[in-house]
Amino acid sequence: MSDLWQRCLARLEGEIEPGVLHTWLQPLQARDDDGTLRLFAPNTYTLEFVRNGYLARIEGTLSALAGRPVPLRLEVGSISPVPKPLATSPGVPPPVAQQHNLDPHYTFDNFVEGKSNQLGKAAAMQVAHNPGRAYNPLLLYGGTGLGKTHLMQAAGNLMLKHNPSMKLLYVHSERFTEMMIAALRNKNMDDFKHRFRSVDALLIDDIQFFAGKDATQEEFFHTFNTLYESRQQIILTCDRYPKEVDNLELRLKSRLGWGLSVAIEPPDFETRAAILLEKAQTRGIPLPSDVALLLARRIRSNVRELEGALNTVAAQANLSGRGITVELAQETLRDLFNVHARAITVQNIQKTVADYYQLRLSDLLSQRRLRSLARPRQIAMALAKELTEHSLPEIGEAFGGKDHTTVMHACKKIRSLCDTDMRLRQDWDKLIRILTG
Amino acid sequence: MNRQFPLDLRWPPHQRLDAFWPGANVPALQGVSDAVEGGDAWLYLQGGSGTGKSHLLIGACRAAIEANRPARYVSLVELPAPRAETIAAIEAEGLLAIDDVQAITGDREAERALFDLYNRAKVANARVLFAADASPLDLGIGLPDLVSRLAMCTQYVLRPLDDAGRRAMLRLLAGRMGLRLDDDVLDWWFARRPRDPASLVAMLQQIDRAALAAQRRVTIPFLRELWQGD
Repeated sequence: MSDLWQRCLARLEGEIEPGVLHTWLQPLQARDDDGTLRLFAPNTYTLEFVRNGYLARIEGTLSALAGRPVPLRLEVGSISPVPKPLATSPGVPPPVAQQHNLDPHYTFDNFVEGKSNQLGKAAAMQVAHNPGRAYNPLLLYGGTGLGKTHLMQAAGNLMLKHNPSMKLLYVHSERFTEMMIAALRNKNMDDFKHRFRSVDALLIDDIQFFAGKDATQEEFFHTFNTLYESRQQIILTCDRYPKEVDNLELRLKSRLGWGLSVAIEPPDFETRAAILLEKAQTRGIPLPSDVALLLARRIRSNVRELEGALNTVAAQANLSGRGITVELAQETLRDLFNVHARAITVQNIQKTVADYYQLRLSDLLSQRRLRSLARPRQIAMALAKELTEHSLPEIGEAFGGKDHTTVMHACKKIRSLCDTDMRLRQDWDKLIRILTG
Repeated sequence: MNRQFPLDLRWPPHQRLDAFWPGANVPALQGVSDAVEGGDAWLYLQGGSGTGKSHLLIGACRAAIEANRPARYVSLVELPAPRAETIAAIEAEGLLAIDDVQAITGDREAERALFDLYNRAKVANARVLFAADASPLDLGIGLPDLVSRLAMCTQYVLRPLDDAGRRAMLRLLAGRMGLRLDDDVLDWWFARRPRDPASLVAMLQQIDRAALAAQRRVTIPFLRELWQGD
């Protein structure tokens, strides 16, 4: 019966939908065990799915092929041999592995600092030097791909460097939920609680994914309280200011504000170029500065996209045996750049700004000079200059036939207000994020 | 009984990396081949239907498995519902090839499950090849965390083959089947039948079976006879 399972799959191939076959049945590993066919599923979910939907079918097919009933056992596991434990000297307890989940590549040394993130970096360093005492919790928030995880893990790595015996745990919020569900299912919640509440520092990424998960929030709330009361460090990241996260309990929102919340903003042009040069240097990619400037100018949304562009250009250069030049970068990234250019138009900017300030588009484009209309209009003009390649006369034309000097005045005014008016600065940054993002 | 499931039953036999006629897609073929060998393996292939995305992904998994390394090909189009739970059950190990990413656009739970799979794969040092019909920014995915992660991959834009490329592809596959396709046969064929790669391969397989059964060479009269009822 060495090929019975293979023949069974071949028979089923014509009978059941390919998605089921590829996803659920093919990953099963088969072993002949004294006449019993043992099928190993990679996890419980697969086992349940196969057992509930396809086991009878499999048994029937096997029996038909073998011409007799085939004893069958379906279980979670693998046919690969179980590795033997490493031998240890008598009397010496085996080393206890600290499962902290940190990626050692994230350090403060390779984090490129700019205006947009310097406060976040300073706070994370303070926390790393004085865990549980500087800011607790430290909450880093901002859009995706801006370096929150990098800062959080850099703080964790530095803490471990200072104190290698520290019990530190980094988890993504989804993993926290998943582990909790597994603990509930396996009735070992006490172990789960002990694991999370006994650490010296707990780092949880992307807590916005706790939204709407009441049981997870409840458990995290108590974990938070225990750690906070015993002055153990908590570092969290979130994609927005926690008070703005819907379906997050009020008492949790309130606790998240007990320590320090720092916004990580999208990097400015110079920082984007510096990030590219740093990443290129780390990976040994010879990136000329004019190419770094080109990429930084064209890709504004986040660091991951910059990194993707760098990877893509480097791969193309490597595969074609050419050096990295502006021409090669433009050629390789033509499609990527087109997406950006296509997405940001003056009309798109006008609509986005009107929506943001809850105005009618016709009012934004009108001649009325009410301050509540004039300021958003100036912001939209300044954004059009910042994010598109249209000339000032073209922008003026798109705003109901305004003169180019009006556009110039608007740009100057908004630039100056961004330095003095924090609220307007926030609006500006948010709008840039929405439009490029 | 502990042998791997035979590849010819899992995937179309011609979908191998060494049977991929790249045309203008040499960089993508090289990138994917390198990924199988352990190079940069967070790739994102984008291109329209018939540009060879699935062929490359399946070919990569096949090559990895032939080298005794774990690999898994999953098309998000073919997933049974609920898709989020199905994606959550995918083991993040070895080489993962996730095809048709566009299929989950707008399915919030499935997008989150794919985001989670990405994170699990990173932690597990698995390697992932993605393929979709548009760039990450153009897919219309609602979860920005997933968009930015897909955008971080090395990107390859796949171009469709032109007629010369299609002919070369057919000759490559025909050669492996022991068939010869002359220019006049291809001229006749291309003037009368669909020329998308999937149709061409399906017709070539039909020709192969018929030529073998009839013990005949592939000529215009033979094709005319074969397709006369169509």
